[in-house]
Amino acid sequence: MPAAAEINEPLIREYITRAVNDVFKTMLGRVPVFVGATHHQADDGMNPPPPGPASGVTPFVVGTVGFLGDINGLIYLYLDEPFARMSTCHLLGMTEAELEEAGDEVINDAIGEITNMTVGGFKNGLCDAGYPCKLTIPSILRGSNFSIEPVSSAVRHTYVFESSGNKVVADILIKIGD
Amino acid sequence: MRYKILTTDDSKTVRIIVRKAFKAYDCEILEASNGVEGLAIAAKDAPDLILLDVTMPVMDGVEMLTKLKADPQLKGIPVIMLTAEGGRDNVLKIAKIGIRDYLVKPFKEEVLIEKAGRVIDLKPLAEQQAKAKSIFDPADILVVEDKPAIIQQFRDGLKHTPWRVHGVSTQGEAVDFCNKTPPDVAIMSLSLPDEGAFTLFRVLRTNAKTKHTPIFALAVKTEAAQQQQAQTVGFTAIVTKPIDLGEIETKICKALNLDTSQRYFSIQGGCLIMRLPENSSPGVLAEVNTYLKAKVSEAVDAGLTKMIIDIHELKNLHMGVIKVLLQTMQTARELTLQFALVGNAQIVAECKGFEDTRNWVFYDSIDEAKSNLGKTSSGASAQMAGV
Repeated sequence: MPAAAEINEPLIREYITRAVNDVFKTMLGRVPVFVGATHHQADDGMNPPPPGPASGVTPFVVGTVGFLGDINGLIYLYLDEPFARMSTCHLLGMTEAELEEAGDEVINDAIGEITNMTVGGFKNGLCDAGYPCKLTIPSILRGSNFSIEPVSSAVRHTYVFESSGNKVVADILIKIGD
Repeated sequence: MRYKILTTDDSKTVRIIVRKAFKAYDCEILEASNGVEGLAIAAKDAPDLILLDVTMPVMDGVEMLTKLKADPQLKGIPVIMLTAEGGRDNVLKIAKIGIRDYLVKPFKEEVLIEKAGRVIDLKPLAEQQAKAKSIFDPADILVVEDKPAIIQQFRDGLKHTPWRVHGVSTQGEAVDFCNKTPPDVAIMSLSLPDEGAFTLFRVLRTNAKTKHTPIFALAVKTEAAQQQQAQTVGFTAIVTKPIDLGEIETKICKALNLDTSQRYFSIQGGCLIMRLPENSSPGVLAEVNTYLKAKVSEAVDAGLTKMIIDIHELKNLHMGVIKVLLQTMQTARELTLQFALVGNAQIVAECKGFEDTRNWVFYDSIDEAKSNLGKTSSGASAQMAGV
């Protein structure tokens, strides 16, 4: 087992950027560009960052996958609903009409898998840095006006990516040293 | 043989992608959403390959793999891991249990096909269908040759066929072409630099899309050593420069298992017509012989009673042609099919010079032969039966 590297923000940024790029390029034929980040200690008294590109108007499909082991955390991947639908069609080779017929369950499963692959890529970076951990099963959150607030002692990093006018937000909550 | 591939993944999305990836191949996809289902299907259907995820509810992939390898009935089934779990230590741990390959998500469908193709003999569906193709169906012929004049010779020489000739000049272009449009036949020049044809041959043979594509080596006639090497490596056929397009066409038909019988046999106005082309090379005559009995039998079975042997396109007579004609007449007689010959002045004259053929009676056209067969069928038949 290699000596564990310190998990700091640049490393987290590197892992998540690589993971988002790999997944969106390989599975969706898109090249997302990193556009910004915010960082908070959950108990620093500041409000958590907004969950997605907008709140209260556009519905979101949010995939969640956790990682458990020497390091624990959760990643939420936010896609607005139109982008989630477009991504599902591309991934499964479906038309919009076919997707309409198939229903939301198919979108949930597709975004769950996109999140699973993204968090998998991120987690593999952590494992190779000396923090062995395992993935949890994905879950999906849908809605247009909600916020996710972590418990105290977690560090929160939010990274925003953009691809052809569509935003993807990776919201990372990490607890180190449990 | 239709292979069975079991995809075990809790994500329906991944199962759909796997199904989509293998759609163009002759295989059946079985699905399981967790390890328990996966083991049950493996025991019931004995798949030829299992694609296995790690993180799943009920029973995860590591547990399923462990149970599979502990079961004497199932341990021989090859497993490729297809999972987002890609940390070095975890991969090594899983590899030790016994797997054939490991593919980390996200993945490209082509890579999955390539890895599966290394474990099972994946055949494209198109190849299965090719077996029923005829010479009138289109096909893609890829010519890999750095001399444009040679590619042009192929284009010109095969333009009477429905085949599309695609020319590329480098190995890289050939690989790109094959990935986009797997050709029906690839012909590669052995004079490509740095033994490029041999490297390309190996690349195409390891790609599931082109694993079974017939690959011809194109060599200068006098380069015996090169031709020998190509044969040893496993090229489907050797064709030589200067190019004989007739020979190449015959070899392509053979490699693609094309039904070429329509070139020589047809049914017109209640008559079976057998036609020998102008250039009736030994290869052509062998083809005619292959179809002869079956075609005559089919005609009789369909209720036909007359046959016309049309050799008016032939420029000269030789022993090979005579043998085939004698064989044809013998077959027709055995099945009591009346027959008549159509020839040209040159052939008629040459026939007079051989003992076996000097009594043959020829008509000038198919119509004339038909009408005479109708009127004096027994006579015409008898005249030719004098051979």
